[in-house]
Amino acid sequence: MIEKVLIANRGEIALRVIKTCKALGIKTVAVFSDEDRNSLHVKNATESYYIGEAAPAKSYLNQEKILDVMLSSGTDAVHPGYGFLSENDDFARLCEKNKINFIGPSADSMNLCGDKMRCKEAMLKAKVPTVPGSPDLTKDAVDAEKIANDIGYPVMLKSVYGGGGRGIRIVNTDQELRDAYETVTAESIAAVGKSAIIVEKFLEKTRHIEYQMCRDQHGNAVHLFERECSIQRRNQKLIEQTPSPVVDKAKREEIGELVVKAAEAVDYTNLGTAEFLRADNGEFYFIEINARLQVEHPISEMVSGLDFVKLQLDIANGEPLPFKQSDLKMNGYAIECRINAEDTFLDFAPSTGPIPDVTIPSGPNVRCDTYLYPGCTVSPFYDSLMAKLCTWGQTYEESRLRMLNALNDFYIQGVETSIPLYKTILKTDEYKNGQLSTDFLKRYDMINRLKEDIKNEIKEKQLPATAAAIMYSEFFHSKVQSSNRTNSNWKTHG
Amino acid sequence: MHSNKINEFLDKKKSATQGGGQDRIKAQHDKGKLTARERINLLLDEGSFVEIDALTTHHYHEYEMQKKKFYNDGVVGGYGTIHNRQVYVFAYDFTILGGTLSQMGAKKITKLMDHATRNGCPIVGIADSGGARIQEGILSLDGFADIFYHNELASGVVPQITASIGPSAGGAVYSPAMTDFVIMVDKAATMFVTGPDVVKTVLGEDVSFDELGGAMTHGTKSGVAHFVAQNEYECMDYIKTLLSYIPQNSTEEPPKIQSDDDPNRLDHNLINLKPEDSLKPYDMKPVILSILDNNNFFEIHELFAQNVIVGFGRMNGRTVGIVANQPMYLAGALDIDSSNKAARFIRFCDSYGIPIITLVDTPGYMPGTNQEHNGIIRHGSKLLYSYCEATVPKITIVIGKAYGGAYIAMGSKNLRTDINYAWPTAQIAVLGSEGAVKIMNRKELANSDDPEALKKQLVDEFTEKFANPYVAASHGTIDTVIDPAETRPMLIKALEMLSNKRDKQLPRKHGNINL
Amino acid sequence: MDFKVENIEEIFSGEVIKKLSSDEYLIRIQDKEHQLQILNINSNKMEFVLDNQFHSVRYIENQTAEMKIVLDGTSITINMHTHLDDIVYKNSGGADTGNAQLNLRSQIPGKVVSINVSEGNEVKKDDVVCVLESMKMQVSIKSHKDGKIKSVKIKEGNSVNKNDIIAEIE
Repeated sequence: MIEKVLIANRGEIALRVIKTCKALGIKTVAVFSDEDRNSLHVKNATESYYIGEAAPAKSYLNQEKILDVMLSSGTDAVHPGYGFLSENDDFARLCEKNKINFIGPSADSMNLCGDKMRCKEAMLKAKVPTVPGSPDLTKDAVDAEKIANDIGYPVMLKSVYGGGGRGIRIVNTDQELRDAYETVTAESIAAVGKSAIIVEKFLEKTRHIEYQMCRDQHGNAVHLFERECSIQRRNQKLIEQTPSPVVDKAKREEIGELVVKAAEAVDYTNLGTAEFLRADNGEFYFIEINARLQVEHPISEMVSGLDFVKLQLDIANGEPLPFKQSDLKMNGYAIECRINAEDTFLDFAPSTGPIPDVTIPSGPNVRCDTYLYPGCTVSPFYDSLMAKLCTWGQTYEESRLRMLNALNDFYIQGVETSIPLYKTILKTDEYKNGQLSTDFLKRYDMINRLKEDIKNEIKEKQLPATAAAIMYSEFFHSKVQSSNRTNSNWKTHG
Repeated sequence: MHSNKINEFLDKKKSATQGGGQDRIKAQHDKGKLTARERINLLLDEGSFVEIDALTTHHYHEYEMQKKKFYNDGVVGGYGTIHNRQVYVFAYDFTILGGTLSQMGAKKITKLMDHATRNGCPIVGIADSGGARIQEGILSLDGFADIFYHNELASGVVPQITASIGPSAGGAVYSPAMTDFVIMVDKAATMFVTGPDVVKTVLGEDVSFDELGGAMTHGTKSGVAHFVAQNEYECMDYIKTLLSYIPQNSTEEPPKIQSDDDPNRLDHNLINLKPEDSLKPYDMKPVILSILDNNNFFEIHELFAQNVIVGFGRMNGRTVGIVANQPMYLAGALDIDSSNKAARFIRFCDSYGIPIITLVDTPGYMPGTNQEHNGIIRHGSKLLYSYCEATVPKITIVIGKAYGGAYIAMGSKNLRTDINYAWPTAQIAVLGSEGAVKIMNRKELANSDDPEALKKQLVDEFTEKFANPYVAASHGTIDTVIDPAETRPMLIKALEMLSNKRDKQLPRKHGNINL
Repeated sequence: MDFKVENIEEIFSGEVIKKLSSDEYLIRIQDKEHQLQILNINSNKMEFVLDNQFHSVRYIENQTAEMKIVLDGTSITINMHTHLDDIVYKNSGGADTGNAQLNLRSQIPGKVVSINVSEGNEVKKDDVVCVLESMKMQVSIKSHKDGKIKSVKIKEGNSVNKNDIIAEIE
């Protein structure tokens, strides 16, 4: 039985995992870098240990240091969160070797999933349809160009070891491909230390739909429904929701069965996600398996009523799944908005700095997983994700309205955020009607509509804003002071 | 009742605000310059301006001057508040006879300066003037002299700030030079003793107004301008921000504000800002920002003598003056300009009770004939003198190198610095290890088979033995070697301890600082 | 006093008419009178009731030319001397919102990866002037207007801070 878990991560996910462990009476161990000394995950853990300088390579990616902490603190399990070491099979192996229960799949399975080529092979064998692409890793830009011309533009240059949207570029011509090849390589090396590029057909106007996989150590596998994550920018998700507007009960079961097969094909255990692209004609194509707990898992928790981290712990403890597929039912609709510290108008450039004040929305069916608190800092060394705002509703519309309201209540002072963009997106007819696609932002001209919305919002507030300015002048730039020049030495001096 | 008189009064009042007339005002605006009244309005709190001597005119009759009589006669002045603090302000009115100074204009300015010194409030002057009014001859020059005299009377009594938003030529430039701070607006302000025409005639040298005496010239080369503003709005912002740091007069303490920045805030990243290789340059500014409240640093003379950094900040709500070497420029070495810049700043802080915090990382003085022939000895001595002279709380912290004369000059213990701290990375010695070994071990190196290896060994030995803070600490010239992460709390504790400091100079008329 | 809220043409004029009680004021905005009750106020924020509606405002920055506030969660910039703007910005090239602005400033800190223009080049609005690298991401800095590159102020390989001038564009 797991008694002490080390969370090899930081930010909101570390805090979220700690909360479940704490509730279940499991001791938690947090690790932190120079930047995170005052972070909430550190303050909430049973024990916390300093592991190094801010740069991830010196702290959160430093396997030796983390192993040191695990051994000296008597940890018996480690939760890797997402990003960092969560899909690093070397780390998983290191834990296995040191008899520390890695809460996730086995190192071998993780390795297989992480290798997009081999994973694709396994899927084809299991008769799961995949996206047309290069048969192998490309040797160089010339090779990539040939393959691209074979498949037909537009294509995606993808780093096989990339994740979280990095190491991906869409190119339309030979020239663009040549230019992008180096950038993709560099980004991939920067993110996870290695690089290898494949070429894949880029399907336009697709919807990104993924399924929550779940398989215990006894071979029992289920899917915990789909999530639609079509609204993205630079291949990183912005808004996720479940259920998907274009997946009906039949389709859900059909693809769900494929997902179970996929999990078996790679001998996956614990929780993971199978990602698909749904083309405009309704065809589903497998892209990859994310061998970890996903950022957007809260919305699936909301419609299933389960605590995924608890499920993970149970599976890691060797318990069989307490339910069959037929026991699982979806209830209601949930939406998640990833609140990032980014400047929408500057191509989403990261915005960092101290956060003097923050107001976190709450209320019925509103959930916010975040590491923010007044006085914290958004660090330039890490991801720009500050908070995951999730709402639930009996209907899609109810969930959407709750989200709009929660976004209005969310105030973060000190950095630019994506909150205004989400408000604009959620108010559009296209979103209301579920017309989602991976090119949503561009297709429906969201940036310009955002500018309009901001303009209108300001216009509505012109009167109270003027009043606020008048009163400021009145109080702090006053004509005659009600005598504040009292205790002056001047008169009596000399 | 008395409606005639009232109407007459209202008419005159209105005329007084017209400056030199609508045409002249339009000409001023077309040049991208605001009028004197508009500037005063931007500077002072809304509705707080009370004008003085609005109805003064000149009394001259030569050159048909009686036909060109204007109310205010080229200077608008009075008193008001800036963010609720009483100040006196005068602005040259370029629309009246080119803003030239007349006898009456000078009288108005000196009247305001008298008020300032009697009532203990800062005085702000906005310069935009063609200089002396030739028609008034000597009287105009005497007017300037009177202003200069009042500048001296007020110097060190109340803060004097000059905003230069137009020409100032000939004698007129000396008043700003005698004030405490000068802000010049880029592309609008020019200051020179002799204009380009005369320069061309006498020296045959061709130079534009801007090159000779524009804001950037004075901000970067001569150091006459402490601030270069991009436009008039920014100019006013500089003045307001500057005033928020300094007291009304020399008997009052600088304003203290409620700070929400924890005085015990540690910064474990500070030590990482300094490279391990002591020869590698780094930016001192992040260090300064880290220790100040809310990372707010109001830099002064930003573009001049960049090898030293001076400016105001707050620690625990109290204003402090920062003097720091900047290793990114000239490796942080001291030279003529930086000695002047730092010395002037230190003397201002001393005049107005502002504690001085010095951050040290300097390899020494710049060598060379340029420096020597231009008097680095004289100018360097100003820095030493001003540190010694200052009786405000003085705290020095040695971050990196502190060699030789520069170690002494940057607020060392025996210049009567109150508290001296050092980081473990401090290297306090007479010379850098390389230089020291070359001199002291000259014989061994000459006689050695492998001088390079021997030198390296000796340098390492010297570094370990002398180039550290511990020798100094063992003699008490460094009070405490501190953990860099604790720099801010340690400085604040020292400041609080010193907040009641009282120290006096021996009585004398005044010292003889080497000018 | 005149108040111009960014991007909105209509300038509102307003002032305090009189103080009704210790925390209530009668103010005039445009031609209408409004009652304003202050619930609390300090130089950082104020909570007030205007025409029976509750508002909360944070005062972020207060400079000569403009005031930046956050009113009920919306960031708003208020300019208080617009009638002087044309004159003041004639030679210097503009406030942050102006098209006439001479200086193209960087909005993020970063390292210069590449400079895509040189002195004398004609550029159009949104042309890439340079590329900065910040936190593993490459961000293109685009021209804020049509014009000609007067001078380039940065060097490849150097770091720039937020608000540093990248180039002057006439």
